[in-house]
Amino acid sequence: MSDTSRTPVRPNSYDRTSDDIAVVGWAQTPMLRRTEKSETQLLMDVITDALEPLSLTRADIDFTCLGSCDYITGQAFSFVSNLDAIGAWPPKRDSHVEMDGAWALYEAWLRLQEGDIDIAVVTGSGRSSTGDPTLIYPMEMDPYFLAPLGADPLTFAALQARAVIAAGIADERSMAQVAVRSRGAGDVDALLTEDYLREPLRRHDVPPITDGAAAMVLVRGDRARELVDRPAYITGFDHRTECHNPSFRALDDSPSTRIAASAAGLGDAPVEVAELQAAFTHEELLLRSVLDLGDEVTVNASGGALKENPIMATGLVRIGRAADHIFGGGSRALAHSTSGPCLQQNLICILEARS
Amino acid sequence: MIPTAVVGVGQTHHKTRRLDVSFGGLVREAVFRALEDAHMTLDDIDAVVLGKAPDLFEGVMKPELYLSDALGAVGKPMFRVHTAGSVGGTTAIVAASHVQAGKHRTVLAVAFEKQSEGNAQFALGSGKGASLGAGGAFAPFIRAYIQRSGAPEHIGWKVAVKDRLNALKNPYAHLKIEDISIEKVKASPMMWDPIRFLESCPSSDGACAVVLTDEQGGREAEAAGRPAAWILGASSRSEPPSFPGRDPVRPAACVQCADDVYAQAGITNPREQLDMAELYVPFSWHEAIWLEAHGIAEPGEGWKMIDDGTTELTGAFPVNASGGVLSSNPIGASGLLRFAEAANQVRGAAGEHQVEGARTALAMAYGANSQYFSMWVVANSLQPFG
Amino acid sequence: MARFVESTITFPYKRSLGPVVGAFMSALTERRILGIRNGDAVLVPPMEWDPATGAELAHEFVEVGPAGTVDSWTWVPVPSEQHPLDHAFAFAFIRMDGATTPLLHAVDCGSADTISNGARVAPRWKGTRVGRLDDIACFVLGEEPEIDGEDTGPSDEPVGRMDYVASITYRNPVPLATDRAVEASRENRLLGATCPVCGRTYSGGKGYCPIDAVEIGPEDEVDLPEIGTITNYSIVTPVQYPGQTETEPFVRAFVLLDGTDVILPYQPVIELPHDEVHVGQRVNAVWASPAEQLDDGGGMGGAYGNLLGWMPNGESSIDDLDLLNRIF
Repeated sequence: MSDTSRTPVRPNSYDRTSDDIAVVGWAQTPMLRRTEKSETQLLMDVITDALEPLSLTRADIDFTCLGSCDYITGQAFSFVSNLDAIGAWPPKRDSHVEMDGAWALYEAWLRLQEGDIDIAVVTGSGRSSTGDPTLIYPMEMDPYFLAPLGADPLTFAALQARAVIAAGIADERSMAQVAVRSRGAGDVDALLTEDYLREPLRRHDVPPITDGAAAMVLVRGDRARELVDRPAYITGFDHRTECHNPSFRALDDSPSTRIAASAAGLGDAPVEVAELQAAFTHEELLLRSVLDLGDEVTVNASGGALKENPIMATGLVRIGRAADHIFGGGSRALAHSTSGPCLQQNLICILEARS
Repeated sequence: MIPTAVVGVGQTHHKTRRLDVSFGGLVREAVFRALEDAHMTLDDIDAVVLGKAPDLFEGVMKPELYLSDALGAVGKPMFRVHTAGSVGGTTAIVAASHVQAGKHRTVLAVAFEKQSEGNAQFALGSGKGASLGAGGAFAPFIRAYIQRSGAPEHIGWKVAVKDRLNALKNPYAHLKIEDISIEKVKASPMMWDPIRFLESCPSSDGACAVVLTDEQGGREAEAAGRPAAWILGASSRSEPPSFPGRDPVRPAACVQCADDVYAQAGITNPREQLDMAELYVPFSWHEAIWLEAHGIAEPGEGWKMIDDGTTELTGAFPVNASGGVLSSNPIGASGLLRFAEAANQVRGAAGEHQVEGARTALAMAYGANSQYFSMWVVANSLQPFG
Repeated sequence: MARFVESTITFPYKRSLGPVVGAFMSALTERRILGIRNGDAVLVPPMEWDPATGAELAHEFVEVGPAGTVDSWTWVPVPSEQHPLDHAFAFAFIRMDGATTPLLHAVDCGSADTISNGARVAPRWKGTRVGRLDDIACFVLGEEPEIDGEDTGPSDEPVGRMDYVASITYRNPVPLATDRAVEASRENRLLGATCPVCGRTYSGGKGYCPIDAVEIGPEDEVDLPEIGTITNYSIVTPVQYPGQTETEPFVRAFVLLDGTDVILPYQPVIELPHDEVHVGQRVNAVWASPAEQLDDGGGMGGAYGNLLGWMPNGESSIDDLDLLNRIF
């Protein structure tokens, strides 16, 4: 590939953020193929579920940040109704990102760094069963050269899968193995006899449609230690983007993932667990390779996005699962989230326990 | 928290239709002006924060993806906020947060709208018939204010004239109505009683960009003879859209957000300690409403500051020296324009619409059903009150 | 079991292209494909900026093609309604001769067996071209471009705009609380829901309290009076847009229901000219006849179900301008 695809690496010596901000709990709604609840109802439930185990109420929340996408829900300003789920009365410091809840967590993490408030709640929510992703996602592509072709996410994923296979990072068998492991069901040989959905991808290589939401509680320092015995401290948090048009990029690589991981300090110490937002089987194999995760790292024990893919919450759930590893006695975990075609934009969050 | 300063501001020439540019071209016009103002290049920018109103306006979902390379964000963090009409303000606040948190040194905040490609009324109503439009949503609030305050009917017309006269001094402003007058406003068609056509904001294509940096970067700019605008306080508040007990004229979220920002900035008397304000006024009467809700005027008295000329460009408390939202309204960018114009005022960089001697300024943006509020106070030094 | 409602949002966007995309689209009408120089590279499709750095590119256009090579491809067995072809085709990265980067487009080659990396392809041009990427209907195997139908020639003017029709259909559940309100309206009843925590009552199918963030169940639902007072209103002068239903100024009123604290927002008014609506006006609910039933699944206020709107009931208006504050 030409120089067009290069993603500049910038020095990261400036970072002076504090390690003393921690995830103390989170919750997710049941992940369903199609929920009958509105997005607001999902959020109302899940915020309560995240707060109750901590004996917190909505009155205790200093800052909220919601992640959702109007186009998924089908209504401009759909996030305004979601505000009702917060109980923003008296008024709350509050924000919203048109991104996965993982980026809402990033905004909250930055905000808590300022040192004047302690408790933030972030959410990610989406009802992707409402519309057809094949028809909606072309609208996030270059409006002149890609959207008019109806260029859909399956097509781009397939083209990336081709590149990943050509580079020897994956093959159809190892992809099927990822599918079987993620869903805890299926037989690799049988799956490989199925027809292609979008060659080289088969049905098992692509994510399900899932409606759901997640909420997470992020707390500063001393207050975190008051709430739980074993906070999951965020010791590294970074995200990077790449050039948009997949045809300008080397699709057998994910430089923004590598750069974000380096900036987040992945190289400082081993991780035991990695939760990667890989909606397609080849993405998991590519991300493993780019992040240089050996066999000793447990990847997507939760089943990941291949098992449940609540758009706009999937990334936040990855961070939640990584946090669970710390809550359960683990030392260091990595979570990843992504946005855009062919892993255009990638986020890495590193969580640690303290001895 | 790391002190943060605005060292560069840029915006486009706002027009009904920017037919000469693509999306990328539109935002880059603002970005390169801001970089030039900051004496920087794209390479100096460590992270980008993009804000925009609903994607339905242009029919491009998550435009930060397509705009990543256009904004020089490749290899950098790219972040997209969306808080309805206040989004431009939130963009500035979240961009500042990146610096205040100590994560990055220099951050670019960009907001835009190219709404001529779609239709604002259509988008506001999510494609359904009988869309109220923004004016239809706010007319009842304004009617309530007029009754509560006893304000005379000409107050709205005065604001409409003031802001368009100010716009004549702003080379980037959309509306240039040379012969604007009370009579002309009064004679314009009634849109949503009591709001007349010339008391309403235009629909504009436009973009705004602001370069924010840390204390060291701010001091370096000052040492090189380029004044910085220091952020003394910044905050956001939201309240639910509708419940019995909500105050339409004096929303609690606005009052509390202002209190928070003033406390951070060391302001106990906003009327005296602020030299000017850029307030989000899409319909003329909002100026009176916001003056009161921000504690600059007593409840019921905001209209008097308009009536006696206090908020004129040459008055004792100028409001919207730039011409405000009434003169330029690329919806996603309008909030950032307020924050940028306030910064320019205290940098002495507002050209012909400069408020003489402005050292401190308030900027505010609001959104949805008067529920989302974003504000900041900027000053020409970190300790303007001694 | 919730009811689902389908709605389609459609809009014909009109995009402006700027100098680089405009040049590319104009050239398409001439059956030429342009790239732009970026150092030693030729970018196709052409960008205004260097994709890696964001630096502005000089407008050095380079004609590429007429044919190209398939760098990579996938097979689309069942096209969507947005795809360029309505029968199975390949999407491919096609590197035009002279280009450094590939262009994504469709290849009409019959089956997945006929296409491979390295295959040579050329454009099938539409006879009538408007300056849009689908002026190339698709690519075909081989070296020779084709034209589909009579060639009506290049555009007279440089192309500066592009049409894009976005149409998405959504299926959303009607929350059960909303449906209960709609069902009640079929019996000409206005349903309210009272929060068990704070006691506020909500209307129009809103089945939760935003203050306490709790859902309100059927056990806390009450019938609301069908008579009330207008507290505030909007008189909207309609503007035209696709999907607009109004042509004359129309009213949306806020109605305070008697003996309650409940405001019904954005209510249509019936037999009440817009120049006569005023605060304090006494109104009764108007219900649809079976022939007029609405089926709005929304919960943001306004009329819904059988509730058509509100009509003056002849009682003397209430003289209390403080009512204007009751928008919520």
